[in-house]
Amino acid sequence: MDAPIPAKRSFYNYKLFVLISIAVLLVSVGILVNSYLSTGDFLKRGLELKGGTVISLNLPQPVDVNSVQASLAPKFPDITVREIRGLSGYELSVESPAEADYKQILSELQSLGISTEKQSVRTVGAALGASFFQQVQLGLIVSFILMGIVVFILFRTFAPSIAVIAAAVTDIIETMAVMNVLGINLSLPTFAALLMLIGYSVDTDLLLTSRVLKSGSELPIPERIKGAVKTGLTMTGTTSVALAVLMISNLSPVLSEIASVLLIGLLLDTINTWIQNVAIIRRYAEKKGL
Amino acid sequence: MKILTHWKVLILVLMVLASAAAVGLKSGPKAGVEVAFVSESSPAKNLINQGMIITEVNGNPVNTINDWFSATANLKGDATIIANGDEFQIKVNDTLGLDVLDVQNLNLDFGLDLRGGTRVILKPKTNISADVVENIKQTLQTRANLYGLKEIKFKTISDLEKNNYIQVEASGIGSDIVTNLLATTGKFEAKVSKPAYFPNNNSAVFQLGQKQHTVEQSGDTLQIEGKQLKPGDNFELDSIKFQYLNRTADTALFLANVYEGKDIELIYSDPQRSGIQQAGQNVWRFYFGVLVSAQGAEKFAKVTSGIPSIPDASGEAYLQDSEIFIYLDDKLVTSLRIGSELGGKAYTDPQISGSRETRKEAIEEKLYLQTILRSGSIQTGLDIVSIDIISPTLGSGFVRSSAYVGLLAGFAVFLVIIARYRKPKFALPMFFVTLSEIIIVLGVAAINDSRIWIGILVVNLLIILAALLKKQEMDIFSVLGALTIPLLGAGLSWTIDLPAIAGIIAAIGTGIDHQIIILDETLTGHARRIYGLKDKIKTAFFIIFGAAGTMVAAMLPLIFLVAEFVKGFAITTIIGVWIGISVTRPAYARIIESLSKEKGLVSN
Repeated sequence: MDAPIPAKRSFYNYKLFVLISIAVLLVSVGILVNSYLSTGDFLKRGLELKGGTVISLNLPQPVDVNSVQASLAPKFPDITVREIRGLSGYELSVESPAEADYKQILSELQSLGISTEKQSVRTVGAALGASFFQQVQLGLIVSFILMGIVVFILFRTFAPSIAVIAAAVTDIIETMAVMNVLGINLSLPTFAALLMLIGYSVDTDLLLTSRVLKSGSELPIPERIKGAVKTGLTMTGTTSVALAVLMISNLSPVLSEIASVLLIGLLLDTINTWIQNVAIIRRYAEKKGL
Repeated sequence: MKILTHWKVLILVLMVLASAAAVGLKSGPKAGVEVAFVSESSPAKNLINQGMIITEVNGNPVNTINDWFSATANLKGDATIIANGDEFQIKVNDTLGLDVLDVQNLNLDFGLDLRGGTRVILKPKTNISADVVENIKQTLQTRANLYGLKEIKFKTISDLEKNNYIQVEASGIGSDIVTNLLATTGKFEAKVSKPAYFPNNNSAVFQLGQKQHTVEQSGDTLQIEGKQLKPGDNFELDSIKFQYLNRTADTALFLANVYEGKDIELIYSDPQRSGIQQAGQNVWRFYFGVLVSAQGAEKFAKVTSGIPSIPDASGEAYLQDSEIFIYLDDKLVTSLRIGSELGGKAYTDPQISGSRETRKEAIEEKLYLQTILRSGSIQTGLDIVSIDIISPTLGSGFVRSSAYVGLLAGFAVFLVIIARYRKPKFALPMFFVTLSEIIIVLGVAAINDSRIWIGILVVNLLIILAALLKKQEMDIFSVLGALTIPLLGAGLSWTIDLPAIAGIIAAIGTGIDHQIIILDETLTGHARRIYGLKDKIKTAFFIIFGAAGTMVAAMLPLIFLVAEFVKGFAITTIIGVWIGISVTRPAYARIIESLSKEKGLVSN
């Protein structure tokens, strides 16, 4: 007759955590909706998805970013100049909307005495960018649907599948909200990172769900959950540590972008899997008398 | 090491060795820079050619592309360059005019992101079918080859709305060369101007071959065969389209459509039928033979019949008031005088010649004309909708840096594992198995590796047969993996660029997760006393296959998207995941099984 009392205590704890995780979700949705209403986009779009020009110059010495911006601004409206320091040295990044001619910008920079020898240029036309963006949105939706189908095939029952899918959806929404707040663009690499996130998030959810539902009646549910939490946190821990190394080493801007989005997503996934999903699975398992 | 006798582990070890060989065994040069393009104005033209490997400049050794940049910065005057082992003396006045690529010491096709170069996406101006886009692509390829741009790849891609694009990737080549080449595509036409002279009376003779037509005049208006024509009017006569251009007191000028793209059948560039000659102080003459269709020749003959010839300053005789005008996209590209011996004759192999003031200009003009004619007719113009210019300095050293970062990340993961399990015995295999996954993915992606992989396929078959005979347990996925992966390795190779690296990261990330799942299922929990080892591994693999299945499902739509980044990423991830679940993770499970049995951690 001791069993019910611990269960009641942990049930209380869970209620609080579930409320927190729902709150986080609502706040995220709020951030994204607000962004959509004010700018028409959930996330700021990167170059490849809306068109524009980015010129990166690898320079031997730093330059005064503000004065370069001031010199370029009269001739090139909406131009932004930034600097990036990383493993590959000092980089000057000049961004401009699609209509600008990169050759003109380059010659203007040369006249300011900036070396354009080690240059990288990316320009994407507005129409092509819009086309990519359309495909990205469609790709995200189709990926989700396919993922949902596979999950249903695996479990063949309603509630666990919904739990797994819900956790993945929550992960993506919350990650996008954090990206919005931190100013991380939606670009092709970060889009890839979001899809990778679906994969990782489902990993941990599947682990939890199958451990709880398939382990048989030997262990009480809290024990099964605890075991799954230990495994899951190890998984998230190893991946997070590796991603942190990748991000800090700044090997390339693309890889750092992917690493930062994944890291954010994994940390959020920890909340979602081990609180939200756990709560749903507990209820389900208790109902079914497992 | 009894574990090695299990077929899954044996296959893993073999595939790792094969992959290492596939990637590492590169024949040919391993240091220096490869010449990707020699520009027309380069002082090294015809001395140092595309494909040669440069290893020294003015006594400074050149092993990497950074060496090249520092050796050639501000290079002027006499320079000694060693290419393919031979010494060349080059006098640099303006620029050296050589675009180079880092020589790879691995059998991997590193992409633009890592080697540097130019990537351009083109969109046809009007909506045309995929077949026509394919034709355009082949034409561009031909012209690129003509210009000596051999390191250039063309690909047609189409998006969800069935828009067709052409992607051009030029490794190591500057953007100006690429955009200039691509800017001149379009509708090809050659028109011939034909005069009609009005002597003192009011009518002129318009001769087309054997037929003679009378041209009546009244002011600016002319009348031919009952047609009233004002300047600018188009008309047709004897199946040839004409335009009445203008007139002076005694001459009316017409323009005839003589050749279209399809009428140009062959352009000669061999020494017998093409060349450059100095014809005077500032006169350099170029010429090349052309093969035209019979219809084109007929039209030409008709239009140029009855035209008088006059000699020019150098004594050569040309047709009076008659020239060939070459149009691309309805824009006049150039005009050529017509040698008098060609007038009125249906030559199917005329010669095109011209002259410029310098040898360099003559060569450029000749190549330019040859290319335009040779490319035939492309029905539509192309817009450049995206340009990527990537500096080659990112790539050199990237491979080394990423190896360092990988090791550092691996060490960090190792620490987490030790903290959790406190037994390095189980963490070490994880490290090696993850490393194996990376090596095998690279091995499958490697180029020129078919022989190695076919050999492995045979060996794998033998191992599986031996395992069957020894009654070791079989499972269908591992057998499939052992057979399909060598096939993929032999048949596939893809570019290693940033998307592929991201895909490898995705695959090994899930790999580490799955190994942890296997480890946990084997070692922990009350359940281990109740369920046999086999069942627990089965549970682990339920999770693993489920996760892999969802990952693949999530990646599949990406293969159909236009953006190269996501496509390359998806393919690498899917192949990496397949390698993981069919080879490396089962082998890891087997290793863990035997290690834990040894330790007596698990009964049965």
